Amino acid sequence: MLTIRNTKVRTLLRYAIPFLLVPLLVAVGAVAFEGKRYLIISLGIAVLALLLFMTGFERRNIGSRRMVITAIMTALAVFGRFIPVFKPITAIVVLTAVYLGAEAGFFCGALSVLLSNIYFGQGPWTPFQMLGFGLIGLLAGYLGRVLERSRVLLALYGAAAGVLYSLMMDVWTVLWYSGGFDGKLYLAAIGSAVPFTVVYAVSNAAFLMLLYRPVGNKLRRIKRKYGV
Amino acid sequence: MRRFEDMNPLCAAFYYLCVLGLTMFGMNPLTLSLSLLSSILSAVLFGAVKGRGHAFSLILFLIAALINPLIVHNGMTVLFYFNDNPITLEAVLYGLTAAGMITASLYWLRCLSKVMTSDKVLYIFGRFSPKLALLLSMSLRFIELLRVRWRKIQDTQKALGLYRDGNLIDALRGRARVLSVLIGWTLENGIVTAESMEGRGYGSGRRTSYSAYRMHLSDWLFLPVCAGLTAVAVVGQVRSTVVFYPDMQMELWNLWGILGAAAFAVLGTLPLIINAKEALRWRGLLSKV
Repeated sequence: MLTIRNTKVRTLLRYAIPFLLVPLLVAVGAVAFEGKRYLIISLGIAVLALLLFMTGFERRNIGSRRMVITAIMTALAVFGRFIPVFKPITAIVVLTAVYLGAEAGFFCGALSVLLSNIYFGQGPWTPFQMLGFGLIGLLAGYLGRVLERSRVLLALYGAAAGVLYSLMMDVWTVLWYSGGFDGKLYLAAIGSAVPFTVVYAVSNAAFLMLLYRPVGNKLRRIKRKYGV
Repeated sequence: MRRFEDMNPLCAAFYYLCVLGLTMFGMNPLTLSLSLLSSILSAVLFGAVKGRGHAFSLILFLIAALINPLIVHNGMTVLFYFNDNPITLEAVLYGLTAAGMITASLYWLRCLSKVMTSDKVLYIFGRFSPKLALLLSMSLRFIELLRVRWRKIQDTQKALGLYRDGNLIDALRGRARVLSVLIGWTLENGIVTAESMEGRGYGSGRRTSYSAYRMHLSDWLFLPVCAGLTAVAVVGQVRSTVVFYPDMQMELWNLWGILGAAAFAVLGTLPLIINAKEALRWRGLLSKV
């Protein structure tokens, strides 16, 4: 009933979402709520963006090997959250993206957030987290050629991704709390999150340095051996 | 009728979407206090929040309520000065309302997490995209597999005398080694899984997904009731006036405001009503036998 079986409808959605629905949502939101309800609008856009990627994923034919390996890396990222002292989600998402491509990176990021939130609690932040981690993976996939060659660049990317992610989630915290965007509250949110952001960025870089060899080598080997 | 937890996952998803939407997007103190009450009641009866969870929520509520008056100094009625900054009544009340909104949302979400088990999440995604559902269910399965294998590798390393937990560096190194073995093993194994999938005809036709849930009559009844109550509650929120700054203007007790609040009260306790009805019916059946 809800499954989008029709290929034409899927194709239509694929073009309608970015070019029609998102601008429409912003316009309607701005008029109907007098620009006050950024929260509804931003949440709607996050969900639509996720839908966009899903329709693309359903359409394309990615090989079963790539699919299974993406599933394993996703599981690994979720599993990483259970090991004490070890929080390598970002590192694993970035490495997956670098070696398996942008789309695999996006799904590894988005789905590992969705799955780990089943264990750690879903929130209104889930779509934003999914989109955030998905975009970290997507971007890493696009930059894959460059990042694959240099460990330092990889670590820098991890740190930058950590900082940008924190800044984005703080925007969302402020929107949720005060209904509109308040510069003072945003600065306060960033300020109170600084220690977390620093720890997060540093640990991202550290885990990328640490996991680059073991995970990277294995993924490269699997790719070469089986032609994923 | 069945218990709320046993109804079609689409109903539960829709229900929590409605309740969360009303809670998160309306800053109406009347609806929010009802929402907070019913969410706590729901969370307790579903067993979603235990003792420490309530303590955490209380702390979160207090922090969220305090932040606003300390940072925002809008408002006409100055209560007192704190570090030369005016603390206003309006900001205090706004902080309380926002804190209520956040706490209620979190309670609803805990209920959602409790009711929406992984198989239900899978069902909902499967309706949308069978391929994505496959990816999700494979990942879920690999999480458990990784846990089992992690334990096995750890035990082996311990038996070989390689694994030490003495200090942090040692522990990290040991974990990194276990992780390395785990990744190598599972990736190589994953290729076998993929081969096996292809051997059984994966990708040769359109993918469908099996689901254990059907839409029963009660599910079809539940959806419009839920939607109707939400619509009344939305109209109630739109028709009542809630302005915090610069001075408060509240108009909550007009006809639509009261109707909306009543609709929200029913909506918030709907799962509890369904479950209570089921429990009563079950008791009735028992005494007959």
